[in-house]
Amino acid sequence: MTTVAATRPAPEPLAPAAASAPPPGSERRAGLLLSAPFLIVYLLFLVGPLAVGIVLSFFNTTTVKSGLGGWVGVSNYSKVLQDSLFWDAMWHSVLFTLFTTPPLVVLALAAAVLAHRMPRGRVFYRVAFFAPYVVPSSVVALIFLWMYTPQVGLITKLFSGLGLPVPDFLGSTSGGWTAVVLMTLWWTFGFNFVLYTAALQDVPPDVYEAAAIDGAGPWQQIRLITVPLLAPTTSLVLILQILASLKVFDQIYLLLGGGPNQSTRPVIEYIYDTGFTSYRGGYGAAATMVYFVIIVAVSAAWYGLRRWRATSTAA
Amino acid sequence: MSGAMARRRFLGLGAGAVLGAGLAACSSPLASGLAGAQPDTADVIFWNLFTGGDGANMVLMEQDFRKSHPGVSVEATILSWGNPYYTKLALATASGTPPDVGISHLSRLPLLAAAGLLTPVSETGLADLGVTPDRFTPAAWQKATVGGTTYAVPLDTHPFVLFYNVDLARKAGLLNAAGDGLKPMRNAADFTDAVRAMKDASGRYGAVMSITADPATAWRYFSMVYSGLAGPVVTDSGTKISVDDAAMQEAFAFLQSLTKGGLMPSVLNGSGANALFSTGKAGFLFDGEWQIPSYRLVKDFHFNVVPFPALLGPKPVAYADSHALVIPHNPNRSAGRTRHAAQFVKSLLDDSAVWAHGGHVPAWLPTQRSTAFLDQSPQRNYVQAAFTAQYDPPAWYTGAGSDFQNTVGATIIEALSGRTSPKKATAAMRADLKRYTTARPPVTMK
Amino acid sequence: MTSTTLSTDLSAAPRNRGGAATPVNGAKLFNRLCAVCLTLFALIWLVPFFWALATSLRSDGSITQHPVSPFAGGWSFHAYSYAWDNYPIGWWYLNSLLISVLAVVFTVGFCSMAAFALAFLRFRGRAVVMALVTAGLMLPTEALVLPQFIEYRSMHLLGTYWALVLPSVAAPVSVFVFHAFFRGIPTPLIEAARIDGASWWRVYASVCMPISRPAAATVAILTFINSWNAFLWPLLVLNQTKSQTIPVGLSSLVSNSNIQYAEVMASSVLGFLPLIAVFLVFQRQVTQGIATTGIK
Repeated sequence: MTTVAATRPAPEPLAPAAASAPPPGSERRAGLLLSAPFLIVYLLFLVGPLAVGIVLSFFNTTTVKSGLGGWVGVSNYSKVLQDSLFWDAMWHSVLFTLFTTPPLVVLALAAAVLAHRMPRGRVFYRVAFFAPYVVPSSVVALIFLWMYTPQVGLITKLFSGLGLPVPDFLGSTSGGWTAVVLMTLWWTFGFNFVLYTAALQDVPPDVYEAAAIDGAGPWQQIRLITVPLLAPTTSLVLILQILASLKVFDQIYLLLGGGPNQSTRPVIEYIYDTGFTSYRGGYGAAATMVYFVIIVAVSAAWYGLRRWRATSTAA
Repeated sequence: MSGAMARRRFLGLGAGAVLGAGLAACSSPLASGLAGAQPDTADVIFWNLFTGGDGANMVLMEQDFRKSHPGVSVEATILSWGNPYYTKLALATASGTPPDVGISHLSRLPLLAAAGLLTPVSETGLADLGVTPDRFTPAAWQKATVGGTTYAVPLDTHPFVLFYNVDLARKAGLLNAAGDGLKPMRNAADFTDAVRAMKDASGRYGAVMSITADPATAWRYFSMVYSGLAGPVVTDSGTKISVDDAAMQEAFAFLQSLTKGGLMPSVLNGSGANALFSTGKAGFLFDGEWQIPSYRLVKDFHFNVVPFPALLGPKPVAYADSHALVIPHNPNRSAGRTRHAAQFVKSLLDDSAVWAHGGHVPAWLPTQRSTAFLDQSPQRNYVQAAFTAQYDPPAWYTGAGSDFQNTVGATIIEALSGRTSPKKATAAMRADLKRYTTARPPVTMK
Repeated sequence: MTSTTLSTDLSAAPRNRGGAATPVNGAKLFNRLCAVCLTLFALIWLVPFFWALATSLRSDGSITQHPVSPFAGGWSFHAYSYAWDNYPIGWWYLNSLLISVLAVVFTVGFCSMAAFALAFLRFRGRAVVMALVTAGLMLPTEALVLPQFIEYRSMHLLGTYWALVLPSVAAPVSVFVFHAFFRGIPTPLIEAARIDGASWWRVYASVCMPISRPAAATVAILTFINSWNAFLWPLLVLNQTKSQTIPVGLSSLVSNSNIQYAEVMASSVLGFLPLIAVFLVFQRQVTQGIATTGIK
């Protein structure tokens, strides 16, 4: 949720009417004093870790002892880049993104468009779809683990009741992915639903009226008007979803522990395993930085693309 | 407006009062959360990773301590076995809020000790309570000693052992004259003959073990066989590969001779092994002695447990690990708390006959030689295994439930299931080991 | 434009524009079909909650015998008393509550102050602060747990609530929500207060904040949910059993060899019930908050 606003362009600084006149001393002092608490916390606890991470990645730091350890140059990086397990973990994060993003975007769009057409019950839909999102991940894992239990779980019963082969939800790689994707779908679907719902409110109603007068049926209205009008929202939902999915840890760690045999381990768990379980802080920091650069590159590319598109359509 | 203000003020006062009362009433964990000191919620805070039968036995031993030491409170916390437990133990100690007593596998000790996370036993006052080196199984005490300093008090030794179905063994003619053990086997050929005889007796399999997705069991089994022929696979604190290629290929060939010949299934998980062995469809089970309690629960099932005979080498080898008690390093622990921790450790040792019900061999010799233990069968059969115990080689990455065991175990599973040749398996093993030996150790190993 | 999004009430939007204007029979049928599908979909979404609730009220024996018939074997609250007695859930609640409340108080305070300065005051370094905050929006902070851990350890903050409170205060998102709202406040209001002789602090505290309740509510609710639900960082930071938060404490029950289904489900019901209750009360504000921070 914290990256949500990442996509919002920074509001232009307010240009006070008397911009030419130098601000009085009291205003300058107040400005500094008021922004200081946030700025200190921000520099120490957001920029700080970034700087610490860059430094650590060049040392053989251990997580369980204070001190930096010995200088090792870029060897942490070369090891990380050569480690097939790191790239496997990277791939698992990408795979998770590929599995979850399409259903989470398409289903949310469909549900929001339908809900918008309903004369009644909007609050009910909102509550039903969004409620899972406020539940802690470990509770979601507990509930789904129980529903995945062989022989007695609700979902396994459902599969066998429908005559489908019951996947080995927690013991096999494909079953594990199914389990995690289903659980994630249930858990985070409401977020995209709410974003779409809010965007639909901004569509002026006279667009529909005009279309109806032209004789467009509801399906045509949805296909030709609503969905195209929602394109900017879709692009936003898509990037938020991709960034969130690439950061997956909770669900896979809790439900599968990255298993079986590390075949679903996402990259954050790789960092957790090397950095904390094996105490290799410096190495874990190098993996963190590689991953960090990739994430920042994805969001910067999206941001740049949007900018470029905005300027090219304006021109 | 003023009404709203008054209401808000009232709400604020109420919230403040509730918070204040909460803080005053139960100050310790909350205050420590705000101030960052160790929350002393009990006189002895004890962390372990035991569930099931072992967990129940540990609870009994904690209760015995409470009975014999009224006025000393114990708070026991059970964490998930394996990496989650050790990660938590290490991070808690590193951040200055460790438990007073913890459990550690001795195979996990080298890294914990090298990272300075443990209090040396000599500084805990345990010697004054009579906890001295001469009263422990030597192999265990030696493994608890890293670089000349002892960091842990061994509680048990738990070897990889040979389970057999008594009725099938009698039918196969494998029982000794007294009927309380197997006829002596001297080498791999004798052992293979015995497995074959068991196969004939059961009509299905001679032996079973958990193979599929169970790298730890595969590693234990392989380590035992290989250690008969050669030394540890890595030396110099885990920085050098010292694999004897010929010996490793021979070991893999032996493992495959049993699975390929149909004497034992090559694809089988833990519950499958349990089902086959407990219903008489297999004569032998290769597993850790900690499985004894679960087979005790099977009605009308007669089994016995013995150490493995010598297989590929001249002498029997037992792959084993030990649970040990450690006192994590905490510069702020008071002398009083340390004394309570030592009393607790000593009490668990004295009570380790209870612990032995889980199948484990007590490392505390006064218990190991007591009738309370010697009356326990089959536990008394494999005491010798504790003395010939072969642990994981000391390195920063080895140990119970480690990634290392998972990685090499996966290679061994490939060989066991017959998907790869002994030669290729040996090469794969070298590649696995290289990943670890060339990685830079996080701490300087002693 | 952003402030209009803020003040737009989701449910105050035009209702049923699509359907009402089309008197075609097929359209009506279409709408009815959609309603059925969507309602069914929404009901399926609620199943896990009710399934957990139903399981928690049964006994383990009847669960294994009749797994899918929730009415077999009678209901009781036994599992709840068991869960409450066996896990320090009360402590976990208290910890989660305290951490979340502290996070909300500090985030709302610090971020609104900074946003006020950025919106109304001219001071040296203002552009730098603005740039830093904008850049901060791009940083995936969750990925930085490892260096964060090392830094907090060297500051001796591990094991304290502050280790969990501070990262949520350092959230540029919250500054932006306030900043966007403050820019919608007419400048004459501020100027009038200044002419009356109010100090900048008084303008902030007595003029600006009281009318910024919606923004404060948005930030407060989102911060609360975020810090209540955080998992990885509290897992690393808090160690003692009684000092865990609800999500981390309950995660110790996640194990696929667990057969005490009723007890585990009772614990998870205790884990989600308070949040669901809070959500039901504030559902409009919560979803509005999501929409405002996410859109445009």
